[in-house]
Amino acid sequence: MTAYFARRLLLIVPTFIGITLMVFTITRMVPGGPLERMMSKMQQMDQSSNVGKSTNNNSNKSSALSEDQQEQLKIYYGLDRPIYISYFIWLKKVVTFDLGTSTRYNEPVWEIIKSKFHVSLTYGLLVLVISYLVSIPMGIYKALKHSSIFDNISSAFIFIGYSIPNYVIGIGLIVIFAANLDLFPMGGFASENFSDLTMFEKFADIVWHAFLPVTSYLAASFAGMTFLMKNTMMDNLSADYVRTAMAKGLSFRKAVVGHALRNSLIPIATSFGNSISVLVMGSFLVETVFNIDGFGLLGYESVVERDYPVVLGVLVISSLLFLIGNILSDICVALVDPRVQFSE
Amino acid sequence: MIKFKINPLTQKKIKRFRTIKRGYYSFLLLSLILGLSLFGELMVNSRALIVSYNGKLYFPTYGAIITGKTFGLEYGYETNYRELRDKFKSSSSSDWLVMPIVPWNPYENDLKEGAFPPLPPDSSVGHFLGTDTTGRDILARLFYGFRIAILFSFLLVAVNYSVGISIGSAMGYIGGKFDLFFQRLIEIWSNVPFLYIIIIISSIITPSFFSLIFIMLMFGWMFMTWQLRTSTYKEKAREYVLAAKSLGASDARIIFKHIIPNTISVIVTFVPFSVASGIAALTSLDYLGFGLPAPTPSWGELLKQGTANLNAPWIVSSVVVSMILVLMMITFIGEAVREAFDPKKYTTYE
Repeated sequence: MTAYFARRLLLIVPTFIGITLMVFTITRMVPGGPLERMMSKMQQMDQSSNVGKSTNNNSNKSSALSEDQQEQLKIYYGLDRPIYISYFIWLKKVVTFDLGTSTRYNEPVWEIIKSKFHVSLTYGLLVLVISYLVSIPMGIYKALKHSSIFDNISSAFIFIGYSIPNYVIGIGLIVIFAANLDLFPMGGFASENFSDLTMFEKFADIVWHAFLPVTSYLAASFAGMTFLMKNTMMDNLSADYVRTAMAKGLSFRKAVVGHALRNSLIPIATSFGNSISVLVMGSFLVETVFNIDGFGLLGYESVVERDYPVVLGVLVISSLLFLIGNILSDICVALVDPRVQFSE
Repeated sequence: MIKFKINPLTQKKIKRFRTIKRGYYSFLLLSLILGLSLFGELMVNSRALIVSYNGKLYFPTYGAIITGKTFGLEYGYETNYRELRDKFKSSSSSDWLVMPIVPWNPYENDLKEGAFPPLPPDSSVGHFLGTDTTGRDILARLFYGFRIAILFSFLLVAVNYSVGISIGSAMGYIGGKFDLFFQRLIEIWSNVPFLYIIIIISSIITPSFFSLIFIMLMFGWMFMTWQLRTSTYKEKAREYVLAAKSLGASDARIIFKHIIPNTISVIVTFVPFSVASGIAALTSLDYLGFGLPAPTPSWGELLKQGTANLNAPWIVSSVVVSMILVLMMITFIGEAVREAFDPKKYTTYE
């Protein structure tokens, strides 16, 4: 088993290189990179300063920068070398935890990413804990009371959460609870006067702001997990070993808790590793809707603004989390299910 | 003549599907809406259905535009049928015309003097759900937005599944190095953040309906490929494949005549969910402004307008409600299809 996981860990390397190389190549090949942005900015400034003057430099109008300056900028952004060489330079820096400098903020990418972590992590943890705490008991209860009134009504609600994208739920919640009823803020992570508040008020403020976004995150993750729990529980309840347990005189409660429940938790454990990447990444659509300055929004904005060092930095973190999360899932499964043998 | 014969097993599945009421009625209702939307020009349009002028009948809905001169108006551009109707009403002639239920098309701006859009719902002028920020009728845009989104989604599912089924069954059937190569490719490919790429691409080219399908195919084929690979592997190991092989059937025959028909239940159960996620994906792209170019009617664009104008709640509420209804119906259908193809008989103890 150790050999299996060692191999899986080693396989992260080629996959990681594949992902980053592909995005790196795309960012280098498309127009509108940092150099073009800089040039168009310069051109605008040049034109606005030339207003009123008769411009006689029509031939030179296409670029406000001289050839020399362009070359310097290319070297500054590392655009003077072929793609594969600059990729390896970039990769070498990544290995030493240097993700480069943002072209938009002129700050180290690592610092920018770090400053967003706490926001996404707060929401991620809240969502993770609440969804496990609620959906596991709920799934069990729904399985035991299959096709009861409670089961049918809750299924209808869960279906809404399952079929609607979570940011649309977020928009719906904003319309009802923030715009009309005025119960919750429209968005943001904390109030503007956050630093003046006492410890307790700070906590309450964050919870108050978090309520709607966390609900819309929950709606999606919660639906999937409750159904998973319910369906596996029902499969196990009708399995032969539960019937055997009942037949030998075990009470129903003992048969459920001692036998069916333990086996039903295995698929839930599978999903645990994957929630790690969701935990940190969040969903930028939800973050856009609620105007939360988190990790997802950072990635989205940097793509739109062509801030490629940040794009690649976000990609490094997210793909590593995802790849490690997959392995963690397998480890979880191996831990809860002794039948699983990974060595072939 | 192609023989169209439903085998008894499929008949049984269809029968089971019809007993699941929630899914079956959703299916009927959604088919009805889809069918109506294909002839949407007859219900939501600025052109009249029938015009009777000087004893002659005109049907302007389909075909070339009929200029105002035809109906005795001064202008040489397309007739404004709403004004024509008012004119007919005020004059005592025997001319008449029938307008569609919603007398607006999704592109025209209804700008009134002294009022600034968005305007709240007003059934007297035919804006049953109000107008958007540029004075376009919301019901018309919702209706045509639905048609575009669902047709987009159907086409996307078709191409995704064709590619997925071909590569997936090849992976499962050929196995070995071929399988290993695609496995790695899929692993890398599915980790590439697809939204980033689409945003980067669509900022260079303005995506059209078909180029957007192509871009989304590039990042959507993996799911079905993976499913088909697994089920082909399973089917390949069964005796009937061995039997076919020993009878001398070619690989192509085994794949197309034996394996794929046996994996069809896997494929079918995923279709409704893929359609739903196709609609959701197009809507989110439009919401972000990277989807179909303006002024294409789209739910995402309405959603964006609605969230930017919360003081005009009729925009956001109509699009959110219709999204919930449509996606829920599709999910109900999906659930019923899954249940019909793979019935689970549960035991419960008392």
